[in-house]
Amino acid sequence: MIQTDHLTFQYKKKDTSFSFPDLTLKQNENLLILGKSGIGKTTLLHLIAGLLKPKHGTIRIDAIAINTLSNRQLDKFRGEKIGLVFQKNHAISSLSVLENLQARLYFSKHKIEPSAIDVLLKQLDLHKIQHHKAHQLSEGQLQRLGIASAIIHEPSLILADEPTSNLDDENCKIVIALLIAQAKKTKVNLIVITHDSRIKPFFQNVITL
Amino acid sequence: MNIWKISLQNIKSKPLYTFLSVFVLVLSITLLLGIQQLKTSFEYQMERNLGGIDMVVGAKGSPLQLVLASVLHLDNPTGNISYQEALKIGKNPMIKSAVPISYGDNYEGYRIVGTTADFGSLYHAELEQGSGVKKSMDVVLGNSVAQHLKLNIGDTILSTHGLVDATVEVHSDKLTIVGILKPTKKVIDRLIITNLQSVWDVHDHKEEHLEESEEHHDGHAHEEHDDSKEITSLLITFRNPRGLVTLPRKINKQVGLQAALPKYELDRLYAYTGVGFKTITAVAYIILIISGIMIFTSLYKMVKERAFDLALLRTYGARNFQLIKIVAYEGFTIAFTAFALGFLFLKIGLKYVFKMMNADDKLYMLQELPYQDLLHTGGSIIILTTVSVLLAIYPILKMDIATILSNEK
Repeated sequence: MIQTDHLTFQYKKKDTSFSFPDLTLKQNENLLILGKSGIGKTTLLHLIAGLLKPKHGTIRIDAIAINTLSNRQLDKFRGEKIGLVFQKNHAISSLSVLENLQARLYFSKHKIEPSAIDVLLKQLDLHKIQHHKAHQLSEGQLQRLGIASAIIHEPSLILADEPTSNLDDENCKIVIALLIAQAKKTKVNLIVITHDSRIKPFFQNVITL
Repeated sequence: MNIWKISLQNIKSKPLYTFLSVFVLVLSITLLLGIQQLKTSFEYQMERNLGGIDMVVGAKGSPLQLVLASVLHLDNPTGNISYQEALKIGKNPMIKSAVPISYGDNYEGYRIVGTTADFGSLYHAELEQGSGVKKSMDVVLGNSVAQHLKLNIGDTILSTHGLVDATVEVHSDKLTIVGILKPTKKVIDRLIITNLQSVWDVHDHKEEHLEESEEHHDGHAHEEHDDSKEITSLLITFRNPRGLVTLPRKINKQVGLQAALPKYELDRLYAYTGVGFKTITAVAYIILIISGIMIFTSLYKMVKERAFDLALLRTYGARNFQLIKIVAYEGFTIAFTAFALGFLFLKIGLKYVFKMMNADDKLYMLQELPYQDLLHTGGSIIILTTVSVLLAIYPILKMDIATILSNEK
């Protein structure tokens, strides 16, 4: 359950300020946010992830007003409740696939059965390369590892920032289908922001900034 | 998974840089500790060789030479002094013991020292086998001499004139080995000991035949008449430290005599050799600073180039402090690895060096590194690493994760 209310943001050193439409997502609902570059898509995503603090307005995730949390609490909140997927740089390069997932669990202090890691690795077709270092992986493998890292700790919200922009049509479909399937399976909200209109057909809720 | 594992994987991910950092640090640590340990061992050995000798009285000349010649047996003596004069000095109540020594001959390069029974006690030397010197032409061997020349009790040797093994002029009087000393790890191990009379007898005999060559050898004990017997020097230990202040001045006023204080002369010597030690120490510290810069560069590079990795960890729920720990563990792992390796190389390296130095006589003993020096070097490295880490983590403190993770530039 995610709700934002009269959200505005201003960068410290710049004059440009953003105000965002109110969002409301019920459980299991997904949302696609479309918009051109520079319109503040990533800013909105970072506000919801607690990486930035709004100038005005409130953000509630699972009934927690995250704009009132301290930095320390935000770190903890982010570790537990949020899974982030990026356009590139999906993993810690010096760690292996498996170690990346273990690191994700370590920092969010979330414990799962080792067999659950295996299951996830198999689902994302990463089990054969689980001991490969992240810097040895292909773009597609890295993207899948990014998704695995975003969901392994069972968050309540997955935020994806341009997850498909670097991918060809086929991989684009695979990745977005995977994200939606994983969100459905773990019953979490998924918010995707992108300028990539290829993925529009996958979503019922779409807003354009 | 924990912070340590991430730090270790970071280290492993740049083997060349890690190797270089460790290598340079090991070099400086080995040098720093090595030079300290050598200096300690060297000075300790010198101190041991002084035995209980507080003062040495000999002919006028360089006091350092007198000490080197009569105490450490490394140099030629400054000349001879009258035995009668020496006996008079020895009667001073402040003196505990005054041991006369007289030398000028060698056997196979080992000095033959004519002295009294008290000489051995200066070095706490004990007989391993046989007996002490009882009559003229009896000799007792220092342990290294016996070992190295494979001599046994009952063997006879012919002494050679002079203090180095040149075999120019061999005396005809046979010296008989009556005893061998236990090893002391002091200078006495390298000496052949006899009584004063033997030295006088050998040269009394020699004078009749080889008068002209005598002029060339200072430091040669010889006898002209019974009341003008000469010795090379007198080794003195004090009953009372006040003797150190008053006696040297008194003796130095006498014609032909000088008193030298071995400890003082050695300190003067160290002042010269100290320049070498100081230079190497300075070089080692420079290398240490360079290795500090290398550790800093390595960490700083990691923080800058892997800013995204670190930002990603923040999205995983890592706190800033945990990121700092990753960097700090990395720096300290390199530092401690280098310290341990440096220490290990030092142990092995010095053992090897000392084995080579001791090939002839087992005189040199490796002293344990004083723990203050270890602490000092260890402390320097901890400070160095801490500074490197603190400088390297600065970007983490200033890090703006949102900007780093942002695609909208």
